[in-house]
Amino acid sequence: MKRKKKRYDSVDIVSFISLTLLAIVIVIPFWNAIVISFETESAYIKSPFSWLPGEFTLTNYEYMFEHAEGLISAYKNTIKIAVIGTVLGMAMMTAVAYCFSRQFPGKRVLFYIMLFTMFFGGGLVPKYLLIKNLGLLDTHTAIILMSLASVHNIIIMKNGFESIPNDLPEAAMIDGASDFTIFARVMLPLQKPMIATFSLFHVVGAWNNWYWPTLILNSSDKAVLQVFLRTLLANAGGTAIAESSMGNLSDNVYSMGIQMAAVFIVMLPIMLVYPFLQKYFVKGVLVGGVKM
Amino acid sequence: MAHMKKNKVLSAMWKARYIYILLLGYFVWLIIFHYGPMYGLLLAFKKYNARLGIWGSEWVGLDNLKRIFVTPVAKRAIWNTLTISIRRTIFQFPFPIILAVLITEMRGRKLKKVYQTIFTFPHFLSWVVVGAILTNFLSSSGTINTALANMGLSKINFLGNSKIFTSLLFITANWKGMGWGAIIYMAAIAGIDPTLYDAAKVDGASRWQQIWHITLAGIKSTIAIKLILDIGGIMNAGFDQIFNMRNDVVNSAVTILDTYVYDITFGAVPNYGFSTAVGLFKSVIDFILLILANQISGYLSKGEHKLIK
Repeated sequence: MKRKKKRYDSVDIVSFISLTLLAIVIVIPFWNAIVISFETESAYIKSPFSWLPGEFTLTNYEYMFEHAEGLISAYKNTIKIAVIGTVLGMAMMTAVAYCFSRQFPGKRVLFYIMLFTMFFGGGLVPKYLLIKNLGLLDTHTAIILMSLASVHNIIIMKNGFESIPNDLPEAAMIDGASDFTIFARVMLPLQKPMIATFSLFHVVGAWNNWYWPTLILNSSDKAVLQVFLRTLLANAGGTAIAESSMGNLSDNVYSMGIQMAAVFIVMLPIMLVYPFLQKYFVKGVLVGGVKM
Repeated sequence: MAHMKKNKVLSAMWKARYIYILLLGYFVWLIIFHYGPMYGLLLAFKKYNARLGIWGSEWVGLDNLKRIFVTPVAKRAIWNTLTISIRRTIFQFPFPIILAVLITEMRGRKLKKVYQTIFTFPHFLSWVVVGAILTNFLSSSGTINTALANMGLSKINFLGNSKIFTSLLFITANWKGMGWGAIIYMAAIAGIDPTLYDAAKVDGASRWQQIWHITLAGIKSTIAIKLILDIGGIMNAGFDQIFNMRNDVVNSAVTILDTYVYDITFGAVPNYGFSTAVGLFKSVIDFILLILANQISGYLSKGEHKLIK
């Protein structure tokens, strides 16, 4: 800012102190979780919070990779669903967005048919029965298909296509190009930054998708990371249950190390890439409020 | 005349044939995965029998819907949904605004960037992950309580006391989401004409006065629109968070419509007809509120924030 050479005034002090406190409050639970995951049981009991592991160990991670059933397959499944879902979803959403940026008979009606689904849906039971009736229970196909395209994002992409001067597609049209060619060769390359941003959101969405996978993916070899984590947390005795008998957690204290190791393994990829990709995410929210 | 007009439409359709081909897959998907479940809403008026299917099951008229208003847990879920949502608006809504102002005012470009990364990061994790981390942190033998015990203070039953737990919903939702929520306000602040600040300085306004009279006044309409959209979402009281943080002790205090539908659908004695009815009840109100909110915010932003034009 311009006021650099001035003395610090009360606004500077208040903003610096309150934001620093907030940063600490946000970081500490993460730090705590990571430290616990690298700590032995006895060190954890002695002090659940320490800045560095009281007694360093990798047993929790050894357990995770050697004994926790399904971690590797959960990783593979998540990556598979994220990649296929994003590629298919982006192909579909960009095509639809392009179409709605053009003029054609029936556009208004089709647009409203699409828009309606943004505000109204069948809800839990009808959706579940649909998946069941389609024979898609316990399949990755169901997960990919259920979160394929978002109306909200299609509308934002449509606005993006509309911001491209109309003479460009018109000129291509006169040269005899079909809508396929215009879409794939002219319009799509112009929207690369936007597509990259939306792809990122789609990947993160797939990574964090837990609700329908929990309902649909029943066999452990089909589980995705979030389902794997949920199952592990529930089986670990769940602090929640022990909570009802206050202070009586000693029997699953050791499981805390495993739980936190699992949490760390699940969030690590996002932790690693987020600082570098943050600006693209921010751009995403600014082009029109991407919802996740 | 009519014949000519028809031909015109047909030729326009022929011209746009590739557009229809591009749209085909999407609309097939839309009809199966979005309109298909709407057909299933018929269950709200039926007594579901798996053997007979949705269509074959016996009609019961409005019985399922009427049952909502005589079932204590359902009434409680409606009440909780509304009161938790309203309290979210009071205790969560202002924080991203304050945060955005403070971040814009803070000095130091690099530190600002680091802080912003920290503030927005939790938004990108699922409530499964965040719930696990926070539950560990707040549990009776968790970090805070051990620290309290070490200082000779008595422990606080954060997760087992429904009053404290409900307040924690707002605090932890802020913890996770306020940094991300601030971005939209920061963008609005960046759009304020900088000469206004220069003029205020000439007039001798302090920085606090500038924040009040220029910054906050300048993002008034953004705040209003966001508020209306939030109120439009009042039927959604935060399913992901509550589902991943609740426990048996506090459950009844935080049962909202969404968790209630889940519980009766996958509970011991599932009643698909009734849970569909509860879901339908919620969806219909949700639909009306969202449309209203969308229209009002569109009106306030002169069309900019309106999806239905």
